[in-house]
Amino acid sequence: MTTTVSISVTVNGVAQSAEVEPRLLLADFLRENLDLTGTHVGCEHGICGACTVLMDGDSVRSCLTLAVQADGASVETVESLGDIEALGPLQEAFREHHALQCGFCTPGMLMTATDILRKYDLATDDDIRDGLSGNICRCTGYQNIVAAVRSAADKRDAT
Amino acid sequence: MKPAPFDYLRASSVDEAVAALAANADAKVLAGGQSLVPMLNFRLIDAPLFVDISGIEILAGIAEAADGGLRIGALMRHYALETSDAVRQRFPVLHEAMKHVAHLAIRNRGTIGGSLSHADPAAELPTLSVLLDAIIETANPAGGRQIAAQDFFLAPLTTALAPDEIVIAVYLPGLPEGAGWGFEEFAQRRGDFAVAGAAAIVVRDGDRVTATRIALMGVHDTPLRAEAAEQAMMSDGIEAAATAAQEAAEPINDLHGSAEYRRHLVGVLTRRALTAAYERATP
Amino acid sequence: MRPPDDISLTRPQYVGAKVVRREDPRLLTGAGNYVADIKRHGMVHIAFRRSDHAHATIRSVDVAAARALPGVVSVYTGKDMAALANPYQATSRMKNYQATFIPPLAHEKVRYVGEAVVAVVAESRYVAEDALAHIEIDFAPLPVLVDPEESLKPGSPKLHDDLESNILAAREFARGEVEDAFANAAVTTGGRFHFTRTTPVTIEARASVAEYDKGARSLTLHCTTQIPGIVRDKLSEIFDLPGPRIRVIAPDVGGGFGGKTSLYSEEIVACAAARDLGRPVKWVSDRMEDLMTTGNAFDEIVDAEIAIAEDGAILGVKADVIGDVGAYSIYPWTATIEPVQVVSFLPGPYRIENYSARVRAVATNKTLTGAYRGVGRPISVFVMDRLLDMAARKIGMDPVEIRRRNLVNDDEFPYKAASGLVWDKSAFQACLAEAADGIGYDALRRDQEKARAEGRWVGIGVASYAELTGVGSRIAVAPGMPINTGTETCNVAIDSTGAVTASFGIASQGQGMETTLAQVVAEELGVKVDDVDIVLGDTASVSHGTGTYASRGAVFGGGAGILAAKAVHEKIVRVAGHLLEAAEEDIETGDGNVRVKGTDKSMTIRDLARALYSDMGRVPKEMRDEIDNLEATKVYDPFFGTTTSASHMCLIEIDPETYKVEIKRYIVVEDCGRVINPLIADGQAHGGVAQGIGVALMEEVIHDDTGQVLTASLVDYVVPSAVEIPSIDVVHVEAELPNTVGGFRGLGEGGTIGAPACIANAISDALSPLGIEIMEIPATPERLFRLIEAARAG
Repeated sequence: MTTTVSISVTVNGVAQSAEVEPRLLLADFLRENLDLTGTHVGCEHGICGACTVLMDGDSVRSCLTLAVQADGASVETVESLGDIEALGPLQEAFREHHALQCGFCTPGMLMTATDILRKYDLATDDDIRDGLSGNICRCTGYQNIVAAVRSAADKRDAT
Repeated sequence: MKPAPFDYLRASSVDEAVAALAANADAKVLAGGQSLVPMLNFRLIDAPLFVDISGIEILAGIAEAADGGLRIGALMRHYALETSDAVRQRFPVLHEAMKHVAHLAIRNRGTIGGSLSHADPAAELPTLSVLLDAIIETANPAGGRQIAAQDFFLAPLTTALAPDEIVIAVYLPGLPEGAGWGFEEFAQRRGDFAVAGAAAIVVRDGDRVTATRIALMGVHDTPLRAEAAEQAMMSDGIEAAATAAQEAAEPINDLHGSAEYRRHLVGVLTRRALTAAYERATP
Repeated sequence: MRPPDDISLTRPQYVGAKVVRREDPRLLTGAGNYVADIKRHGMVHIAFRRSDHAHATIRSVDVAAARALPGVVSVYTGKDMAALANPYQATSRMKNYQATFIPPLAHEKVRYVGEAVVAVVAESRYVAEDALAHIEIDFAPLPVLVDPEESLKPGSPKLHDDLESNILAAREFARGEVEDAFANAAVTTGGRFHFTRTTPVTIEARASVAEYDKGARSLTLHCTTQIPGIVRDKLSEIFDLPGPRIRVIAPDVGGGFGGKTSLYSEEIVACAAARDLGRPVKWVSDRMEDLMTTGNAFDEIVDAEIAIAEDGAILGVKADVIGDVGAYSIYPWTATIEPVQVVSFLPGPYRIENYSARVRAVATNKTLTGAYRGVGRPISVFVMDRLLDMAARKIGMDPVEIRRRNLVNDDEFPYKAASGLVWDKSAFQACLAEAADGIGYDALRRDQEKARAEGRWVGIGVASYAELTGVGSRIAVAPGMPINTGTETCNVAIDSTGAVTASFGIASQGQGMETTLAQVVAEELGVKVDDVDIVLGDTASVSHGTGTYASRGAVFGGGAGILAAKAVHEKIVRVAGHLLEAAEEDIETGDGNVRVKGTDKSMTIRDLARALYSDMGRVPKEMRDEIDNLEATKVYDPFFGTTTSASHMCLIEIDPETYKVEIKRYIVVEDCGRVINPLIADGQAHGGVAQGIGVALMEEVIHDDTGQVLTASLVDYVVPSAVEIPSIDVVHVEAELPNTVGGFRGLGEGGTIGAPACIANAISDALSPLGIEIMEIPATPERLFRLIEAARAG
C-alpha cells in the first residue's frame, strides 16, 4: 500500500483539497473526485488530446499528468468556458460552424484552441491545423473546427 | 491503462532529489512526465518511488554564456525553448527543431532534462544536443560531473547517468559566427516521432566549407554524429556527404518504415539539411 | 413505396435549413452524458485479463490470488460465465454459412490476442488492473493462422472444432457469359488487390454500465451502442429476461462508425456481473483494448480482372475475394456482412452485363471483423475504380471519359446491377460531371503537364460509386439473418403540457439526429423546431427498433417521423376544426399555432392539447373516442431503400524524394436526396472522407506471424490529424428525389466509400510515368518506396 499525498488544487476557480494516491491521473481526479466529467479520456497515452485541460494557463494532457503534480496549480477545464445557458465565445463559434459531431474530442479541442489562440498568431489556416494537430477528431474531418477557430482568431485580432 | 502503485516524493532541492535516488534502488526521476507517464500508464515501468524534481526552481531558467552559447536549466520546458529569443538568435537550428517536438500540450510540460534523460534516438533534443556539442551537467552524491553529449547516449532509452544522478543543466557552446543551419525531419504526421531526421551546421569561407556538423536522428541506437559524412562534406561536397551519412546509419525496421526506406531518407534529408545550412551560412 | 401525396414539405421551413444543433450546448460545456460519465452508488469496475496467445487451449486458470487482493469484489472465468449467460451465435440462412458460438469469456480455447479470458470486478479500475497481474493462466499453444489463404486450405488447423472448415461463408454471383467476354475483349487487365485491416477508432472507446434491480428483477444497460434494440433483444435471450425487464440505453455516444454496431462480450459480462453481485458494474475500454478488440474491417484480398472494348465499354468483370474475418462470426451481422458486400457492390454504378464473383469469408486468429463505415463498399469501389483506371491507361483514355461511357445513364433506371442489386434512380452521370467541373478538371490536367515537366509528381484521382441506403424489408442488411433491419418505429406524442416528443428506436453517435429529426417532425406538425424533444437510443421508448447503421438514420427516422407526425397532425386538425368551428380543410398549422386559413381565428397547439386532455367536455366524447389522444406510433418500411451515389475527385502531390503524399484538393459531389440540414450533411461528408483518407494513406491493423497485434497503440495505429486532411468541397446535386417518405437518402458512409479509391487512383496517376499501379493500401511512404525502387530496378 503506498502513501497518499495531500494536494491543493484550484479547479475552475474553486480551491480543492484531497488525499490522493500518487498514481491517480489528473484526468481521473477531475472526473471521479470532482465530478467534472467534461474532460474526456480517449487514450491514456497522450496522443488523442481529448483530455486536454489548462494548468496554470497552459494546455496539458491530463492523462499524462499525475494529480499530485497539480498540487499548487490552477486548473481550468471545459466547464470554465461557459455554461449551457450562456456559451462562451469559442463555444458559440464551434456551434455556429458545426465544429462538433459526437462531442467527445470537443472539450480537448476547446482547451487547445484556447491556448493556441493566446500563444500563436495563427495567420493562416495551416497554422490553425498545426496548432490543432495534437487533438484527434474522427467525426468532423477538422474542416469546421478550423473554421470555428479562424472566426475566433479574427475576433481576437479585431479587438 | 492505469499506473501500478508507487510512492511519490516532491524534492525541494537538488540534494534532496539526489539523496532520495541514492537511498532507493529503483527510484526514478519525474519532471514533465511526458515520456514517463505514458510508460506508467502502459505499465511498462515499475518503480516503487518517483522523485519529482519539477519544483526545484534553480533548475529552470536560461543564461547566456560569454562564448555566444547558452546554459539551459534542465527544467526548461520545450515551449519556453521554442519561444526563447536567446535560443532563436544563438541557435536557430534548435528553435526550428522545437517546432517539431510533439504538440503544444506536450511542449508545455516536457523538459530538456527529461528529453535528454529519456534518450529516444528519434527525438529532436537528443539529436540537437549531439549536433551542438552540448555538455550535460549532472548532480550526484559525489557532487556532479559534466558529460559530453556524444558520450551521454549509450543505447536506445539508455544514458550514461547513474541511478542516483540527475541532469541539472545543458550547456551549448557558442557556434562560429556566420554558421548556417539546416534541420529536416520526416514523420508520418505532424508531431510524430521522426522516421528519420538530419540536422546540419555549415561554416563557409566564400564557397569553401570550413567546418560542418551533421547529426542524424532516428537511424541508429543513439543520435549520431556522422563524422565520416562531415569529412566527406568538407572534401567532396553535399552529395558525397549524403551518401556517407547513409552508410553511417544503422536504421531499424519497424511499422513506420523499413531500414532501407530509412536509409533512403537519410540521404534525402542530409542533402536537404546541408543545402539549407550551406545557403544560410555567411560566405 | 410512394410517399403520401400531401406531405407538407412544399414550403419547407426547417427541412433544408442550417439549423444549429440542439445537442451542442451540453456537449460544448462538458455536460454531455457519456457512459463513462455515469456514476452509481455502490458501482464497481471491471478490468479484463486478455489472451496474449492468438490460438491456444486453456489448460487452467488460477484466480485465487487475484480474488484475495484488497478491493477486489469478484472474479469471473469462462466457466463462471457459462453458468450466468446462455450461449449465443450469429445465425444466417445464407447457404454455406457456418456460425460460431462466441463465449463472453474464453472457455476452453482462445482464438485471438486480446480475447477476454478473466473479468476482475473491483472497487476501482486501478485496483482491478492491479489484480490482473495476479492471475495465472496456463495456455497450451496451438498453431496460429494469420494468413487467410493458409487458413482456408483443407486440412489447416480448425479454429472451431465443431465446424467443417475455417471458411465461414462462401457465395458466388454470376451474370451473363464472363469467359466469352474476356475471350473476345480488346483489352483485359487486373491483378491482386489488397485492402488491409482497419479499425474504426472512435475517440470514445466502448463502455458499459450495467445495473440490476433485485426487487424489480430488471436489468438496465447503459452502453456505447449503435444498436440498442438488437442488444436488448439478444440480451433478453441470453439472460432469460423478458423485454420490459431489460432496458438498453445509448446515451451520448462518442462516435460509432459501425464499430459499436455489434454485441460485445464485455457488455454481456457487465450484465452478468451486475446481476450476480447486485451492484452496478462499469467497464470502460482503454485504448489498447479498443485497438485489439473492437470490430475490425476491410481486410480483403481481391483477385480481379476487367475486360473492355476498344471504345472503353466494360465487357466483363470477374473477381475472387478472400475476406479475413477474424476468429468468430460477429453478432448480429455475421462474418458475411463485409465480404459479401464487396462482391455485391463491386459492379458499382457501371453498366456491366457479364460478371462473375466468388467470395469466401475465412476465419483467422485475429480480432473479429464487424461493420465499419462503408462495410465492404470501400473495397468494391477500390477494385472497380482501379480496374477502370488501369484499363483506361492501357487504351490511352481519360479516366473521367471511361467513366462517362460506362456509368448507367438516367434513362436506364431502374437498372439491375450485375450482382442483382437494383439501382432505382440516382444522378450517377451528373455527379461525375459536376465533380470534374467543380475541381476544374481540364485545367488541372494542363497544370499536371507543366508540373511533370518540372519534375513534380502530381496526380488526379476520380472514383464513382453507388450504394443502397435506408434499405427496407426487401433486402436484409445482412442477408439471411433473423433480424429485421427493414423497419423503424417512431412515436410522436403531444402531452398534456403541450410538449412535443418524438421517440425513435435509432440511436445517435454524433449525426445530429436530435436536430434533424426535430426539423422533420416540427415541419410536419407545424410547431417550432425548438419545441420538439427527440428521444433516441432507449429500448423502453418504442416496442421495436434496431438502431443506426447502414446509413439508415435519415431515411428510417425521417420517414417514420413524418408518418407519425402526420398522423398526429390529422388529429390536431380534427380537434381544431371543432374548437375553431371550421372545416378541416381550412385548418393549417405553423409555428406552434393552429389557425383557420384566411381568418385570424387561431389557438396555440398547446392550448388545443390542454383542451383535449384537461378540459372535460370541451371536445365531444365521440371525437375523443376516435382520436384517443394526440399521439401516434408508426412503423416505416422503405422496402427497397434507395440508391445514393457520388463522385469523388482529388488532386495530390507526392514528394519525389520522401514519397509523402499530400492531398491538395478534394471534392465530393453527391446525390443524397432531400437534405434535412446542410451543415450536418456536409459534416458527414467531411468526416467520411477524412476516415477514407486515413484508410488510404496511413491506417493499418498489423498482426505478426504469431498473431500479436503490433498496432495496439495510437502511436502505431496512425489516424489523420488536422494537418493531414485538406479542406473538402462538398456539393449536393439537386436531382430527382427518391421514393422514400420525405425524399431522404442515407449519406453517412459515402466519404469512406469513395476516398480510398479516389486517392489510390490519384497516386497511380502521379506515378504512371514509372508504370506503377497502386494495388495495396494504405499507400504509405514505405509502400511507395518499395514500388518505386522495384520500378526503377526493373
